[in-house]
Amino acid sequence: MKFKNGFYVGLTMFTLLVTTPALAQDVKMLEAAKKEGKAVVYGSLESDSANSIFNEFKKKTGVTVEYWRASATKVMDRALSEYRAGRPLFDIILTNDNPMQIMLKEGIFAKYESPSAKEFPQNAIDPNLGPRYRNVVIGVVYNKSAIKEADAPKSLQDLVNPKYRGKLVMPDPTQHTTTTQWVASLEKLMGKEKAEKYIRDLAAMKPVLVESLLPAAERVVTGETPIAITYVKYAYIYGKKGAPLDYVRLGKFMGDGHYLTLSNKAPHPNAGKAVIDYFLGPESMKMMAQLGEFVNRKGVYPPLADADKIEFVEMYDLGSKGFAEKKKEYQKIFLR
Amino acid sequence: MSVNERAQAIEADVSTAWGRSRLGAFLSQPVSWVFIIVGGIIGFLSLYPTFFLFYGSLTDAPLGVPGQFTIQNYVRAYTDPEAYPLLLNSFIFGFGASGLSIVFALTLAWITIRTNAPYRRLFELTAIVPNILPPILVSISWVMLLNPSNGLINAGLVQLLGIEKGPFNIYSIAGLIFVEGLILTPLAFLIIAAAMKSMDPSLEESAKTLGSNEFGIMRRITFPLIRPAILAAATLNFVRAVESFDTPAIIALPARIEVFTTKIWREALGSFPTNHNLAAAYGVGILGIALVFVYLYRRFTSQVESFSTVTGKGFRPHQIDLGPWRYAASGIALLLLMMLVALPILVLILVAILPYYHVPTWQTWQNLTLDNFRYVWVTPRVHKAFMNSLFLALVGATACMLLASLASYITVRTKIAGRGIIEGLVFIPWAFPGTAMALGLLWAYVDFPIPVYATIWIILIAYVTRFLPYGLRAVTSTIIQVHKELEEASIVCGAGFLATFRRVMIPMMRPGVMAGWIILVTIFMREFSATLFLYSPGAEPLGPLLYFLYLDGMRGRVAAIGLVISVISIILIAIAQRYSRWDTK
Repeated sequence: MKFKNGFYVGLTMFTLLVTTPALAQDVKMLEAAKKEGKAVVYGSLESDSANSIFNEFKKKTGVTVEYWRASATKVMDRALSEYRAGRPLFDIILTNDNPMQIMLKEGIFAKYESPSAKEFPQNAIDPNLGPRYRNVVIGVVYNKSAIKEADAPKSLQDLVNPKYRGKLVMPDPTQHTTTTQWVASLEKLMGKEKAEKYIRDLAAMKPVLVESLLPAAERVVTGETPIAITYVKYAYIYGKKGAPLDYVRLGKFMGDGHYLTLSNKAPHPNAGKAVIDYFLGPESMKMMAQLGEFVNRKGVYPPLADADKIEFVEMYDLGSKGFAEKKKEYQKIFLR
Repeated sequence: MSVNERAQAIEADVSTAWGRSRLGAFLSQPVSWVFIIVGGIIGFLSLYPTFFLFYGSLTDAPLGVPGQFTIQNYVRAYTDPEAYPLLLNSFIFGFGASGLSIVFALTLAWITIRTNAPYRRLFELTAIVPNILPPILVSISWVMLLNPSNGLINAGLVQLLGIEKGPFNIYSIAGLIFVEGLILTPLAFLIIAAAMKSMDPSLEESAKTLGSNEFGIMRRITFPLIRPAILAAATLNFVRAVESFDTPAIIALPARIEVFTTKIWREALGSFPTNHNLAAAYGVGILGIALVFVYLYRRFTSQVESFSTVTGKGFRPHQIDLGPWRYAASGIALLLLMMLVALPILVLILVAILPYYHVPTWQTWQNLTLDNFRYVWVTPRVHKAFMNSLFLALVGATACMLLASLASYITVRTKIAGRGIIEGLVFIPWAFPGTAMALGLLWAYVDFPIPVYATIWIILIAYVTRFLPYGLRAVTSTIIQVHKELEEASIVCGAGFLATFRRVMIPMMRPGVMAGWIILVTIFMREFSATLFLYSPGAEPLGPLLYFLYLDGMRGRVAAIGLVISVISIILIAIAQRYSRWDTK
């Protein structure tokens, strides 16, 4: 018994010894963050998701988060322009992999190892950018009122079946960067030769081409075109509002990763760190998953049927030259 | 010396001042100082951000990074044989949309300003409403109405007529021209209506006395007299259509019709990462086209005197009595307004009250929601954005019109050498595609010695820089109609330049000034492309808020905010229109 008690005391002492500096550091950082008063985030995460997390963060810490939302390219344009001019107003950049890698090469980020990062799988942690907090997963979404479940496509291969001619919408891969990346990465799922043939077959279906992934999903929601290549999360987001949407269980789904990283010239570095800690923490990740996002924190899934069965495959990072070449190549295939 | 001779002598003094060897003589004229100050402000506003874009077009590195001088961006942009057929498509689209907007605007303006058609005041007010709505929303509304699969009008006709397929297809060049024409009509309407309000009816009355019928008068007298306004509106709308990306993205892309802006988007603005240098080189090309049109416009209206209809004699534009035809005129106006306002607004209301947009069924009516309006009502972020935008719209439009009035006076009324340059300068920032110019503004002001970046003032500077041409065109087309004898009389009576400008010119230009002010207020209430890069994250105006919501797929909220903006703008327009009428004096 004595041994048992001694063991528990020892364990408690050890735990305190290990965690106290971290806690003390957290408290100190939070105090400094409060003095800084606010953190500024530039990002491409949807405003509703971001603001619900940042509002909760404010309630808990009293620190305001000012969020500037734009497309990933615009986030990068503004951040780099400010940084190069020596007037960076942002503390954190929150966007997808490709622009983050470019900004990393430009040397605008500080390395910050958040204590919250340890709850993410090792393969979802970039040594420089930190945890890939969510994946944006691309798949096939369809309108259940227009297409019965039995008649719905079951695989990517099914999409090139002539019976779906005129029923498919997708973003223009010669214009929309993420779609260029998705088409180019199909070889990761099918192998090079099969993918090349598949791309030609897909183009031969004459899919309706739109600006980006959202208008593609919206056309499915309105029933204008019943099947779309778009983000899988829209099946949940619009489904919640009553739209009759479902997604095709492809098994392996391709997509892109999102990161949030601290600037090395952050005007409010402590507030920035506190935001990152909270953002990657269990509460905010659960909130985000509830909004339909595929977060990478272990064991947290969006409330979408079979979300836990989705196997995520990260798309190729094409680089600026690769994007230009692929867009040119797809112009010949998709537009002629 | 007679009064006329004295006036001519004074005018000769002003007009030849620049050419004199003695700088003192030039500087002794107050108008010269106005020229220097106004020219200086416009020159700075225009050339400073444009310099960055020109520089960007001639270097191989992004701004802020040392690069090599190169003409490769121009070679790449203009040696591609694919560019020219697309340019031709853009010209067809631009001429079609601009022409259609002029036809609609002219018809509406004539009915509402010059005739006794019933409800004409109401028609006049509602004709401007579409200018309040972001163009992308109007395009989306028309897709929902006229798409061949389940567009509301097509679906209705299929049910009503028992036909197999709806007769309309929005995804065509005709659909593209139609929608862009509707988007451009309010701007043309405001400029043409302002010119019609300033017309002295004596010429029309003389024609009537000589036996001409109303149609003949309209064709031979009225329309030729408002030619500067028609040309001004056509010039603005043509360039606006050629550089527009929203409507082509929504309608041309699914129709697989390519225009020049689609190419710019694919290769420069929408490429990853954005190729700013190539975008700037494309922008310079569009600027060239715009400047050709400005030159043509100036040539067509160079004989200013021939358009002068507002003279020293008192007048009040009379209304043409259409007799029983007045109901037909109202019917035509109503039809046009159905297309311009009622149908898109109806779709917006539907989008705002449905949980998600779909073709309404009986079940739909049980699921209607006011959540989107509740969001507008209870969200402090939205209220703050409304306040920011109201401030920007009222102050920005007023500042812009003050500068436009002075610039217009100098370019039309004086003979100062170099006055034409002011007009060219005004058009430079406007001719660049919106996103490219926004980057130019960002580069220009991010490191500006006076710390205006990320404050509300930088947004005002951006608005004046980019939208001054609208103000200038609106005022110029009215100032051309004001005969010189009025200001000559003022000068002869001993009034200085400023007193003459304030007491004679401003009241005479009032319809044009108010028209320009209305155009600008409605644009500034929802502008986003220039605002996005410049505002401070804690103080967003409505344009960026709408953009975020649109980007996030919150169409219902966008529609609800759009409808509230429309109501506020209509109130502002009604007030402004009250002050723009001659008969309220």
